[in-house]
Amino acid sequence: MKFINLNETKQTKLIFNKPGDYTVFFHNLSGELDFRIKASGVNLDILGLFIGKKSDNFELKTNQYHISPGSTSNLLIKGVFEDRSKFIYQGLIKIEKTGQKSHAYQKNKNLILSEKVYVDSRPFLEILANDVFCTHGSTTGKINEESLFYLKSRGMNQKTAEQLYVSGFIQEIIDKIKIDQPNFKLKI
Amino acid sequence: MKNSDLNFDYKFGFSMPEKNIFKARKGLDENIVKDISKMKKEPVWMKEFRLKAYTAFTKRKMPNWGADLTKIDFDNIFYYIKPTEKQVNSWQDLPKEIKDTYDRIGVPEAEKNFLSGVSAQYESEVVYESINRELNKRGVIFCDMDTALKKYPKIVKEYFGTLISPYDNKFASLNSAVWSGGSFVYIPKGVKLPMPLQAYFRINAERFGQFERTLIIAEEGSFVHYIEGCTAPIYTTASLHAAVVEIFVKKGARVRYTTVQNWSHNIYNLVTKRSTVDEDGIMEWVDCNIGSGVTMKYPSVILKGRKAHGEVLSIAYAAKGQHQDAGAKMYHLAPDTTSRIISKSISKAGGRTSYRGLVSVSPGAKNSKVYVSCDALIMDEQSRSDTYPYMRINEKDCEVQHEATVEKLGEEKLFYLASRGIKRSEAETLLVNGFIEPVVKEIPLEYSIELNRLIRMEMSGSVG
Repeated sequence: MKFINLNETKQTKLIFNKPGDYTVFFHNLSGELDFRIKASGVNLDILGLFIGKKSDNFELKTNQYHISPGSTSNLLIKGVFEDRSKFIYQGLIKIEKTGQKSHAYQKNKNLILSEKVYVDSRPFLEILANDVFCTHGSTTGKINEESLFYLKSRGMNQKTAEQLYVSGFIQEIIDKIKIDQPNFKLKI
Repeated sequence: MKNSDLNFDYKFGFSMPEKNIFKARKGLDENIVKDISKMKKEPVWMKEFRLKAYTAFTKRKMPNWGADLTKIDFDNIFYYIKPTEKQVNSWQDLPKEIKDTYDRIGVPEAEKNFLSGVSAQYESEVVYESINRELNKRGVIFCDMDTALKKYPKIVKEYFGTLISPYDNKFASLNSAVWSGGSFVYIPKGVKLPMPLQAYFRINAERFGQFERTLIIAEEGSFVHYIEGCTAPIYTTASLHAAVVEIFVKKGARVRYTTVQNWSHNIYNLVTKRSTVDEDGIMEWVDCNIGSGVTMKYPSVILKGRKAHGEVLSIAYAAKGQHQDAGAKMYHLAPDTTSRIISKSISKAGGRTSYRGLVSVSPGAKNSKVYVSCDALIMDEQSRSDTYPYMRINEKDCEVQHEATVEKLGEEKLFYLASRGIKRSEAETLLVNGFIEPVVKEIPLEYSIELNRLIRMEMSGSVG
C-alpha cells in the first residue's frame, strides 16, 4: 500500500506504472489532477475532501486515464460548503481502447449548508473499450431532514445535530485512509 | 465472429421519383428566404422574422462541441420544395408515389387503429391531413404550421419563436429563416385528449433539408400526447434535418411528446426542442434515437411554476458510422419543482453514443428534486460511449442526484441463456430489449412493438 498526500507532495500529474495498491488523498485543492494508469494490477483509491467557507472558490478537474488493461480506480470526492463558497468540479474517466477489463468509479457528494453556495458538478465518462465496468454518481443537497429530526428527537439542538451530521459525512474519507494509515490526522 | 452479422440494410431506404411543383435552387441567400415567404403568402411580420433569423444564421459560428458537423455543406442543400399544389383532405386524393411511400411505412394501418388525426409531412409541406370530428368538437386545433399561420395568426404570433428565439443557436436560426410545415396543436382549457396526436415526417429529395416547426399550446388543465415518428430513404449525400419544437404547458396541464427517430444514416439530425411549464404542469419528452448519422438533440424543460414536473426518457442506439449525441436539459426556476431524466444508450459496430445533459437549480427553487440516471451498453471493441452531465446548483434547499453506468452485456446472463438453449444473437437481443424496457414501456403499443422489432433487426443483422 502506498499513500500519497497531494497537499504534501504537490504533484498534479501522477503516473502509475507498477502494479499495487495506492491511496491518493487531497484536501481543498484547486487545479487539474491527472491519474494515468499505465500498468495492469493497479488498485487506485482517490480520496478528495473539500471544506468551503467564506468566499472560498475551488475549481477542480480530475482525470482518470486507463491506458493499461485490468486495473481499478476508485474516486470519491466529498465536499461541505458554507457561506459564499463555490465548488466547480469536472471529473473525467477515460478508458482507452487499450484499457480492457478496467474498473473505474467516480463519486462526488456535496453538502450545501448556506443559501449563497454555488456547486457545479460535471462527472464525465469517455469509454472506448467494451469489456469494462464504469460508474459515476453525483449527489448535491442539504442535510437530510430525517437524520436531523432523529438527532433532535434525542435532545440535540439544531446546531449540534448539524455539526454531528457534517462530521459523520467527512469521516467516511478519514476512515478509508485510516485502514492503512492509522496515525493519519486531517489538518484543517 | 461476433461482429460479422451486423450488416443492416435500411428497411425504409427506398425512394420514389421526385415530382415537385416548385423547388428553390440549391443554397441559401436572402432572396430565397424572401421567395419562400412570398410563395407561402405570409404576413409581413413572418417575412421579417425569417430575414432576421437568416442574418443571425450567417453570423453564427458552428458549435465547437458535440458531434462532428464539418461535413455539412450549407450551399449544397435545397431549402424549400413544395410537393403538390394544394393540400388534400382524403387519402385517395394523394398522388400515387406519395401514397405508396406511406403505405410502406404503414400510415393507413396505424391510422385505422387509434389515430385521432394524422398530419403527414412529405417534404416541405403537409400534404395529407385528416382531422376527425372529435377534435373539432372539443375545440382542439391540430393542423400544419403554415395553415395555422393563415387561420390563427393571433395565437401563432403570440407564441411563435418566443421560447426558442431566432438567435438561439445556429440551427434554430436556420430553421427560423427557412421553416416549412410542422404541426400546430392548441388544446383548450380542461380538454384531455384520450388518444395521441400523430404526425409522420418524411424526407424524399436528395440533399434536401427539412426544417419543420412545431408549436404546441396546452391551456390550463389540459392533456395531450403528441407523437412524431420518422423514417427516411437512403441517399449517398448527406441531408440535413433541423427542426424547432416549442411547447407551452399551462397551469395544471400535461403534455407528453414522443419521438421515434429513424432517419437513414446519412442524415444530420440537429433539433432544438424546448418547453416551459407553469404551476402544477407536467412535461414529458420520450425520445428514441435509432437512426440518422449524427444526432444532436437535448429536449429541454423550463420549470417556472411551483410544483412543475419535467421528465425526459431517452433511448439512443448507434451502429456503424453513427453518433448519437443526445440528452436533456432541466431548468428549475420555482420552488417544489421536480425532474427526472432516464437515458439508455447502446453502441455497436463502431457506433458512438453520448449523453449530454444539464441540470440547473436557480436560487429560490426551494425543495426541488432532481434525479438523473444514464446507463450505457457497449457491444463490442470498436464502439464508444460518453457521458457529459452538467449540474449547476445555486440553491441550498434541494436534492440533486446523478448516476451513470457503462458496461457490456453480462457474460453470466448470456451464459445462463445459452444454457437454456438460446442462441447467442437471440440472447443478446433479449438482454438489449430488457435493458431499454423501462423507456419502451412508456411508448404507445404500436411504437414499442416497432421499436422492439427494430432492435431485434439491428441486433441480428437480418432485415425484415
